[in-house]
Amino acid sequence: MINAKNSERNLQKSIPVRQAGRLGEGLEVALLLLPALLLLLVFTVWPTLNAFWLSFHRENLLGTERDWVGLSNYAEMLRDPAFWRAVGATFLFAAIVVPVQLVLGLLAALMVARPFPGVALFRTLFFLTTAVPTAVAAVAWGWYLHPIGGTLNRWLEAVGLPAQPWLTSPELALPTLAIVTAWAGVGFTAILLTAGLQQIPEDLYEAARMDGAGAWTQFWRITLPMLSPTLFLVALLTVLTSLTAFGQIHLLTRGGPMESTTVWIYRIYQDAFFNFRFSYAAAQSVALFLVLLLLAALQFRGLGRRVHYE
Amino acid sequence: MSSLPRWLARPLFYLLLGVYAWLLVLPLLSLLSASFRTEADLFTPGLLPPQPTLEAYREALAKHPILRYLLNSLVVSLAITLGVLLTSATLGYALARVRFAGQSLLFGFVVGLLLIPDEVTFLPRYLLVQELGWINSYWALIVPFLASPLGIFLMRQFIKSLPQDLFDAARIDGAGHLRTLWYVALPLAAPALGALGALSFLGAWNMYLWPLVVINQNEMKTAQIAIAQVQSVEVSSWNVVAAAAMLVLLPTLLAFLLAQRAFIRGIALGGLKG
Repeated sequence: MINAKNSERNLQKSIPVRQAGRLGEGLEVALLLLPALLLLLVFTVWPTLNAFWLSFHRENLLGTERDWVGLSNYAEMLRDPAFWRAVGATFLFAAIVVPVQLVLGLLAALMVARPFPGVALFRTLFFLTTAVPTAVAAVAWGWYLHPIGGTLNRWLEAVGLPAQPWLTSPELALPTLAIVTAWAGVGFTAILLTAGLQQIPEDLYEAARMDGAGAWTQFWRITLPMLSPTLFLVALLTVLTSLTAFGQIHLLTRGGPMESTTVWIYRIYQDAFFNFRFSYAAAQSVALFLVLLLLAALQFRGLGRRVHYE
Repeated sequence: MSSLPRWLARPLFYLLLGVYAWLLVLPLLSLLSASFRTEADLFTPGLLPPQPTLEAYREALAKHPILRYLLNSLVVSLAITLGVLLTSATLGYALARVRFAGQSLLFGFVVGLLLIPDEVTFLPRYLLVQELGWINSYWALIVPFLASPLGIFLMRQFIKSLPQDLFDAARIDGAGHLRTLWYVALPLAAPALGALGALSFLGAWNMYLWPLVVINQNEMKTAQIAIAQVQSVEVSSWNVVAAAAMLVLLPTLLAFLLAQRAFIRGIALGGLKG
């Protein structure tokens, strides 16, 4: 018995060795590895390193040469009120997007997680926003919130409230954009949370019902605790995407009015492509990277755990 | 809702569903309605257009190369999707099933790349693409995205989860790695490939910041950034803007309705958008 087992193990081990000696194996491995590796090195690794390199340089007036300036881009950034305004706007934006998107997505997921007649139709409707490109979502809301023709202002007027300058007032524009962003993300959140809800064993609910627990108790005592790992992961993903939201801002407000919607990534875009200060923009993007890295590290731990247990 | 009588709970549940779905879809319905109106009818109240007309679509298509924009987006998204599937399958297979020196190091490297967001690399990548002379070309839009750390990671996990016996059998039959990948791993990985493909396509179709900075020639624009272009030309003709937006929405909407399963699996699997 032991012998047979051993020889089996030896067989398994010996196959790759034999293969390695065969002509062509090296070529095959190279074909498997090289295309992806080269692409990653050239278009991800090199630009990442270059972002750091750029951030320690400054271009001359013609933009033709870059001189080493050490940390002075970073020093300038920390003293730049425009940078801090952008950082503040970014976090305020995320602070609105994340809870709104999670609550709306959870509401949708709770309604369609379990089957009922017509569930397919409602899943399609609730998940639909994932199929709506950011630019289309932005235009749809631009029209929906139109000062004169927009449906929302029409409704406000119908119930006797004044129409609001949703995207043209410095106070309202950022929260409004956050709502648009949350809306566009509802489908994504609902999909992930529905998957999470479906993994909660039905027995738990049955046991709770036997003990006389109502729907409300079941939600707080079973659904929410069991869903919390998924919720945590989805929340982090939403933070990450909301910190780098760009398209809807570019289309709807161009960072205005009065720079109220100039978020971090928009500041970087403007400094690089309108103020032609690439290295200063690079310093700001490295700073953004460090913030995102911190969050992504948390997300990755969550992802690793999920993959591990599946 | 267990305290409510059943005859009441059911209709109430459907009412709630209907109202919520309606509120979620309303901005899109408003857009759809605007696209079927004439400019004179734009501000007529009501969700239904008073005199439905295709005028706005005709005008959008006549004044703007919308089909060209869509074609650009389609070429770019398909090329990226194919590339990602290919590079993810090959490197994913190598990391899961081939033994070579430094394998775990390489896997760690790919996992590390998962943490690098596009928003950080886009400035230096722009300079690189400029250096290569790719500004205003498909190359700029496609090549940087042909390999995806997330795709490689997902394919590696999937191929690793397949039974070892199958790979041993292929070996014993004398199949090399490429044949084993093609005839054994890929057919079994079809659901994973479908999900990854849907995810990649959606991400590529939705790209905004990158095409905005590498494309400034009108006929090379992708559908997403072309919408900004249409909007800036048609300042007050919201019906034309709406028609253009509907035309851009149509392909992803159709793809989503037809391959909903793959999209949902892709999103649940990757948990990343764009």
